[in-house]
Amino acid sequence: MDFNYTPEENAFRMDLRKWLADALPKGWGETVFEPEEEEARYLFRRDWDRKLASGGWTGINWPVEYGGRGATLVERAIFAEEMARARAPESLNIIGQNLAGPTILHFGTEAQKKRFLPKIISSEEIWAQGFSEPNAGSDLASVRTRAERKGDKFIVNGQKIWTSFAQYSQWCFALVRTDPDAPKHKGISFLLIDMNSPGVSIRPLRQISGESEFNETFFDDVEVPAENLVGDLNDGWRIAMTTLAYERGPEDCLARQIRFKRELDSLIDVAGAMPMDDGVVSDDPGVQEDLGRAIVEIDAMRLVALRSFSRFLNGEERGPDASIIKLYWSHAAQRMNEKAIDILGAPGLLTGEDPEAVARGSFGMSYLQSKAFTIYSGSSEIQRNIIGERLLGLPR
Amino acid sequence: MNFAFNEEQRSLGETVGQLLSDFPALTAPDLSREQDDDAWNALAELGLFSLLVPEENDGVGLSLVDVALSVEALGAGLASPLVASTLIATELVKRFGTDAQKDALFGPLATGELKVAIAYTERGKGTDPEKLACAISGGCLSGTKIAVAGADAADRLLVVARNNDQASLAFVETGAAGVTVRQQDDLDPSAALCEVAFDGVEIAADALLGGGASDAPVNALLDLAATVYSGLTIGIANRMLETTVEYAKTREQFGKAIGSFQSIKHRCADMAVLVEAGRATSYFAFWNCAEDSAERAQTASAAKAYCADIARDACNEAIQIHGGMGFTWEMALHRYLRRAKVLESAFGNPAWHYRRVHAEAVAGREADATACRDAA
Repeated sequence: MDFNYTPEENAFRMDLRKWLADALPKGWGETVFEPEEEEARYLFRRDWDRKLASGGWTGINWPVEYGGRGATLVERAIFAEEMARARAPESLNIIGQNLAGPTILHFGTEAQKKRFLPKIISSEEIWAQGFSEPNAGSDLASVRTRAERKGDKFIVNGQKIWTSFAQYSQWCFALVRTDPDAPKHKGISFLLIDMNSPGVSIRPLRQISGESEFNETFFDDVEVPAENLVGDLNDGWRIAMTTLAYERGPEDCLARQIRFKRELDSLIDVAGAMPMDDGVVSDDPGVQEDLGRAIVEIDAMRLVALRSFSRFLNGEERGPDASIIKLYWSHAAQRMNEKAIDILGAPGLLTGEDPEAVARGSFGMSYLQSKAFTIYSGSSEIQRNIIGERLLGLPR
Repeated sequence: MNFAFNEEQRSLGETVGQLLSDFPALTAPDLSREQDDDAWNALAELGLFSLLVPEENDGVGLSLVDVALSVEALGAGLASPLVASTLIATELVKRFGTDAQKDALFGPLATGELKVAIAYTERGKGTDPEKLACAISGGCLSGTKIAVAGADAADRLLVVARNNDQASLAFVETGAAGVTVRQQDDLDPSAALCEVAFDGVEIAADALLGGGASDAPVNALLDLAATVYSGLTIGIANRMLETTVEYAKTREQFGKAIGSFQSIKHRCADMAVLVEAGRATSYFAFWNCAEDSAERAQTASAAKAYCADIARDACNEAIQIHGGMGFTWEMALHRYLRRAKVLESAFGNPAWHYRRVHAEAVAGREADATACRDAA
């Protein structure tokens, strides 16, 4: 065990730190923030993705030949620390970078890697995930969207739901049924679909936060070239499990932890400055205790992810332990977001529209948004089944 | 960066765990101390007490990280808290002892001849060492400590006391004139919490750790104890997880193993998640304490508070999932529940340590901001 870094790793850190200081707008995180309006915010994030790419700071641990910099997992961890330190904006292309990219790296053909990976890294192409359907949520293997082979094409018909960022996406990877007669896990394939294809339509869904990050996506006789099949026909379930291991894995957790740490730091600052009786809110020992516990949990997210990195570095495979990471961060973040509202009291309830809003109403918005954490990427109930059965060996 | 233990560290932890399992009284239903001495001698024979002693003092020269998994095994095996307190005292002598103290203490510490209990808590006082009442005045120590684990079996006490208006650590022989030890009747008699009264006990100048020149030894004690106790408690939590999962696999109701029911399976999964988060927090504290990093205090308090919370939850869940059996004396789950509670309250309860985490984080952020301003 050693948390010291090599001179090369320290140099990597200082390079990134310097680059971030130059790249972020002056006063970032203090007087300058993301746009409030939803679409403007996402486009801001897309532009940030592109800026990161221009500096060579996306897909950093992908191989150099596909546009990455071949960074180690340790450098990946340093990257997350520095992004948190700089309070850097979030990414829009997280599905491309965290899910589509690694899946294509694992299972894609050489042609697919060359075609797709560089444009994910550059964020010229944003990705969406076509897994869930109205009748295939937790029971994901029940997907019914059909893909029928006609010559050198698949013809896709069906509907996906909860497709985040579909409205900004050029591509979507989807689980489609290619053999309706096979047992449900055995008749699924993994297909890459151009969102600009004729027959693709999307309808935004309104979330409890009032935002419309996710959508319904409809496929009506959509033609997909056969070369966009990833892996073998009817082997999509196995590939999807790898995608999910990344979606729930340590890289994803580290990237999210950046946001949660930023929110918690902001909460600590606000509670330390907001007047209460003769002092400030965080003079209250109960508030100090709550904040202390939140600090511990948000730090533990990072530590749990780093433990996982070390297991990979020691040769272990990615597997069901990703469910531990996802279950942990999602609930810990929810607790922190809820605690923020409790600690700030009535002023914490004010939204961004109100002139008296605290931190532009961000705590209330985060509280609402946090309700999705324990549902997407596999609900907590599914993660608990996986942990119980596959890690602890409890019977089905 | 590497967050994994090496082969030697893992093997040492497993050896300590196996060794303790040879002494069933440690975890048996009855709250007995009848095998404490045998277990102690076996640990001493294994060389546990020489591990932290520097090589130049004829020890093995290992670091706290090297023994982290062994400490976890001590917790899971319900070893006497005297084992942990003696290891903590050894590390303190290594860091702060004068040459004379090292010469005098490392020999008997390394062989396990010297058992050291730590006297910290006082009635009516919190955890802040600055506010404790025990004091050395005119070379004599007076005051009363409570909840001193294993004081009745210890040879030496490491006492937190004020000396010249500064918190200090003094080594006191349990048999010295003016020392009265009374075992208290408490929730976990196997931890042997004692009240220790000091009535004008003579403290020679060379009994103050490091000569008593600063309060650094007391601050280090707090962080060391918090870190080591986080290891003990997460060991208990993991033992409860293992025991409960095993039970859920074999116990049948409605014609099925109860572990197939999601109401049970999901609670086991939640325990597994917390044990992993607690371990990550505890191991990180061990590393920061071993390195004496700037984050030592924050990570130690984080680990102490969080692992205590997790152990408490794990003990509660274990008893609940075992059903009526869990509440029986002979199932012996009460041993872990009792010990976890005793460890939780020692060296600062979770509430105190969470507040300390907050205070350290605020101080760290202010220092960071100052550094940024200075750089700009």
